[in-house]
Amino acid sequence: MMSRRRSGPWKLLAISVAVCWTLLPIYWLFRLSLLTPADISSFPPPILPAHPHPGNFLNILGFDYTLVSGRVLHASGQSRQIILGLKNSLIVATTTMLLTLAVVVPLAYVFGRMEFRFKNALFMSVLFAVAIPPVSTLIPFYTLFVALGLSGTRTGLVLITLTLTIPFVTWMLIGYFRNLPPVEKLAAIDGFSRLQTLLYIIIPMARSGIAVAAVISFLFSWNDFVFATTLVNGSDATTLPSAASAFLFQQPEPGHMAASVILSLIPAALVVLFLQRHITEMNLVDPVR
Amino acid sequence: MKVSAVMTPNAGRFVRSQQLSNLQFALLLTLPVLVFLAVLMAYPLGYAVWLSLNNIQFILGQPDIEFVGIGNYIAVYQDLAFWHSVAISLRFTIESVVLAVGIGLALALVMNAAGERSVLLRTIILVPWAVSLYGTGVMWFYLLSGQSGIVTTIFQWFGNDRPPNLFSPTTVVEFLAVGNAWNMAPLIAFFLLAGMRTIPTRLYHLAQIDQLGAWGQFIHVTLPPLRFTLFVFVCIATMFSLKMFDYINIMTRGGPGDASTVVPYLLYDISFQQLELGYGAAMSFYLLALIIVSTLLLYFAWGRYEEAA
Repeated sequence: MMSRRRSGPWKLLAISVAVCWTLLPIYWLFRLSLLTPADISSFPPPILPAHPHPGNFLNILGFDYTLVSGRVLHASGQSRQIILGLKNSLIVATTTMLLTLAVVVPLAYVFGRMEFRFKNALFMSVLFAVAIPPVSTLIPFYTLFVALGLSGTRTGLVLITLTLTIPFVTWMLIGYFRNLPPVEKLAAIDGFSRLQTLLYIIIPMARSGIAVAAVISFLFSWNDFVFATTLVNGSDATTLPSAASAFLFQQPEPGHMAASVILSLIPAALVVLFLQRHITEMNLVDPVR
Repeated sequence: MKVSAVMTPNAGRFVRSQQLSNLQFALLLTLPVLVFLAVLMAYPLGYAVWLSLNNIQFILGQPDIEFVGIGNYIAVYQDLAFWHSVAISLRFTIESVVLAVGIGLALALVMNAAGERSVLLRTIILVPWAVSLYGTGVMWFYLLSGQSGIVTTIFQWFGNDRPPNLFSPTTVVEFLAVGNAWNMAPLIAFFLLAGMRTIPTRLYHLAQIDQLGAWGQFIHVTLPPLRFTLFVFVCIATMFSLKMFDYINIMTRGGPGDASTVVPYLLYDISFQQLELGYGAAMSFYLLALIIVSTLLLYFAWGRYEEAA
């Protein structure tokens, strides 16, 4: 490759641009969550918060906060929903993740590594499910869930999110499974049944792919906004995005809005960071070719 | 284990039954899921078909249902607002896909150049992927909109009190696409990086012997093994951009005027605000057709050559 000395400054510049591009929108909102009400309305918008304070975060979690100026920022009326949403989001996203994994791993294995009749037809139906826009199934799902008593429940939300995660994650994993080394014949000679081959050989080999599938399904569920606002908004099963949407539409409050978005980013970012190294191993193309 | 397999008296039948059970094993693992998906998807789809064949109006909260056959489909076809939203959707999608894949490729090159050990850099670059679509909408709204945006601040430094309105009817779709690309690019970058890691370094040495410049190396060594991954992500980005609703709802609510009214937003407006359920359902099948046709076009124009390679 190029000599280190020649590429040094350019590389540094490229890295700085990439980092700025990535962090600027997040920083701008984080900054907003630290501003005092007076600073928010000041013009031009400040780059740095002049008097950073944790008031917005405390408010949405149900605590009052007194600014240095003596002004009291009152706990948000939405705080009960936010805390409930945090709890429900964790439950719903973890459940969705586990169920998706249980279903998707065998599915992707079968599609990626076996030849059988109807494979293409079945595969096409999976792709078809990826193509369906949520907006068009929203009303039917809503009436169905009202009839079944599932609206406003976490079970309903998990079920509906599975219809998004299963097809998409399967699609992502098929290429990955196809690239694993061909061990089935050897395993069969060693007396492994197909199921044993899958459980004891393929799954340990496919760790990275499964980890990525886990993050993708967790994030899909954690970040779902459309289904959550339709199915569980205002109920005891509310999730963080649907609880936070109140700051957008019903009682616009930029500071609280910013704080709730940053709050919802933290667990998602932790999951992503934790599993980050696996994603660089997700090669979709056969390395031999 | 090996011994027991050899000792099995029915070794011959074992092999035959294994060949037979390929379909059976596949069905055993996949059928429960496929049935679950089919039931969970078939009902809403069937219901949407039924809705689309009826004219549904709410009079004093009571639905008034009248069967109109394909009348709704004809009405959508003749609806200028619908075709306007198709044009906006295509513009938003093409711009989003080009930006997301381009930025994804650039981020992957940066991470690849930075080397194996730059964990912090990779961690930072991946973060936007963890941001939800509504979160992306909120972030880019506050970053770009006039009253609270960074552009206003920067213009103020140069003594200009009147910053440009980025969300004007002529440019709003472009700025929506930038935010969308910001959210999608990290995942693309990581999958591309995974592909780049498998390129043997000796190919770069050979390229140097052939006196290829940095650009030549990129075109002839780095890019070819990434083409399939690129195709997959162009498809994903196309589908997701055509379906995009929550992000646009938060950023612009389809505005100003109808300048960013993409099909999913128009659909939402018709079904949820105006409660024209039949008409909205008919339009949603046009959207589904648009998504499927776009993906098939991509496959026939590009994807089928990549798979064979």
